[in-house]
Amino acid sequence: MTAALLRTRAFRDVAVVIVLVFGVGSIAMLLAHVSPFDGFYALIDGAFGTKYELAETLVQTTNLLLPALGIAIAFRAGLFNIGAEGQLVIGGFAAGWLGAQLLLPGYLAVPMVLLAGVVAGGAWGAIPGFMRARFGANEVIATLMLNFVAALLTTYLVTGPLQQGGAGAAETSPLLKAAQLPTLFGTQLTWAFVIALGLAFVMHWVLRRTVFGYELRAAGDAPEAAKRAGIDLSRTALLAMTISGAFAGLGGASIVAGELHRFNTGLSPGYGFIAIAVALVGNLDPRWIVVAALAFGALQSGGYVMQAEAHVPREVVSLVTGLVIVALAGRRVVAAQRST
Amino acid sequence: MNATAAALLALVGLTLVKATPLIYAALGGVLSERSGVVNIGLEGILIAGAFTSVAVSAATGNPFAGALAGIVAGMLLAALLAFAATRLAVDQIVAGTGLNIAALAAAAFGLVLVFHQPGASTEVPALGPRGQTTLIVLAFVAAAALHWVLTRTPWGLRVRACGEDPGAAESAGIDALKTRFWAVVIGGAICSLGGVYLALAELDLYSDGMTAGRGFIALAAVIFGRWTPLGATGAALFFGFFAALQFTLQQAGIPSQLLQALPYLAALVALCGFAGRVRAPAADGLPYVRH
Repeated sequence: MTAALLRTRAFRDVAVVIVLVFGVGSIAMLLAHVSPFDGFYALIDGAFGTKYELAETLVQTTNLLLPALGIAIAFRAGLFNIGAEGQLVIGGFAAGWLGAQLLLPGYLAVPMVLLAGVVAGGAWGAIPGFMRARFGANEVIATLMLNFVAALLTTYLVTGPLQQGGAGAAETSPLLKAAQLPTLFGTQLTWAFVIALGLAFVMHWVLRRTVFGYELRAAGDAPEAAKRAGIDLSRTALLAMTISGAFAGLGGASIVAGELHRFNTGLSPGYGFIAIAVALVGNLDPRWIVVAALAFGALQSGGYVMQAEAHVPREVVSLVTGLVIVALAGRRVVAAQRST
Repeated sequence: MNATAAALLALVGLTLVKATPLIYAALGGVLSERSGVVNIGLEGILIAGAFTSVAVSAATGNPFAGALAGIVAGMLLAALLAFAATRLAVDQIVAGTGLNIAALAAAAFGLVLVFHQPGASTEVPALGPRGQTTLIVLAFVAAAALHWVLTRTPWGLRVRACGEDPGAAESAGIDALKTRFWAVVIGGAICSLGGVYLALAELDLYSDGMTAGRGFIALAAVIFGRWTPLGATGAALFFGFFAALQFTLQQAGIPSQLLQALPYLAALVALCGFAGRVRAPAADGLPYVRH
């Protein structure tokens, strides 16, 4: 019976998303004097039409999937990580800085660069985790504020003491060839996609089959009961936020190592925020998050083509994404966890 | 008058100019949070106020009509959040985050529709220096008024009761959902004045990203000001002062990013309890559901 109920709710969520995408999308296109048929055709064709467009969709999927998995981990532990954007930027910076000067062969350099992102993003996520565990500080506001600190700190570093990209440029030097992620199928798609998919399955397994996963879910679902059962809530919060940040940091590192081949301050068009929608639409379940990331990845990559070919401003995609987040904020899984 | 005095006077003036939008947004945040609704959507309300006031001013040629429309737009956005937070009992943080994304995108889309160009609007009829002075003075009047309303009026007491314990408030005959709804909507009206100020008083146009995170700095001011109107106004002035000093200090070799990060760092310090005891309203952020 529970399974049937779950399916119903998931069904309703998907219906809400589809209505928002096609309803709001159509209205916006009509306002822009574009036929919705042409607009959506450009969007869908732009996301899946050619091998390279499909590859771009999967690149965007990867960029959303990694922070979304991190956000879901925090959520499952009853914490709201609104700071994935900052963790992603810090991870990207660490990867870009290290990758520009690491004289190692590829089989060592690539893992090191990605690891730099994981460690830096994890450390950035650990700050609010520690603040909450030690001082009881509200992690929502802390992660939110740290987004801005991350953006300002990296801007300062690449325009000031660690400036490498030439005068005036807010970026690091290019990554050495060996530190760049190898591509797949002769497209711009990289191994980051495979890594992200693999991590989704690892996370699914950890949440369902390990003691740590059980403790995490217990802390989120019923903190009082978890405490009585001897689960250290402070430790769980710190670990969940650290892992959450590490996922986002890896996302930043993979953008730098796979796409831009350098860090620059504009590396993310808000992946850390869109990933909130991805995590919610995916019901905080790693398997469904993969599907949601593909859908939002397609909206992202198709949005560029829609703007270029059908002359619909791609802000329509952000508008729909924001409304999806509002619409899914009422989900029991969200409200129940935060009100305990 | 010597040069130092003139420089000081200019600094005070610039502080007021920079602090005013923060004061409006922070006051809106205080009212909302004292009723128990965390308003992450302040940034979105600033954007709605700024863009709508410019669009309507351009359409009517009347900046006052624009300002009024900006306030209405801010109230509507706040009403959406308030409805979701009270009647639908959704997660306020998630909903506010979504509203910010949607408002930023809608304004960028609106620029293309109304002004047929992306990035920024054309210059529109604005409120001018007198309008700016009026709005600056009004910000302080609003702070004093909100302080009086929250501490001295029955409605203020009801708002605070809903923020501390909505269940108990309802037992005492207060309609907690209605009180919260109107606190958020009126808060939205106050906040949107900050957007109107930015677009029609300090400037005479809307451009993408012009609010530049002021809604979040205001959120920091709410915390640093301990959820009181006067405290939040003080914090907004403090942040405005450093924004005004930015240019001078930059020339003295202090990186501008450090100064821009100051409000956020101050809020983080306050959250950890390093700047004295900080306590949010007990039911802040918790949806209230009748049983």
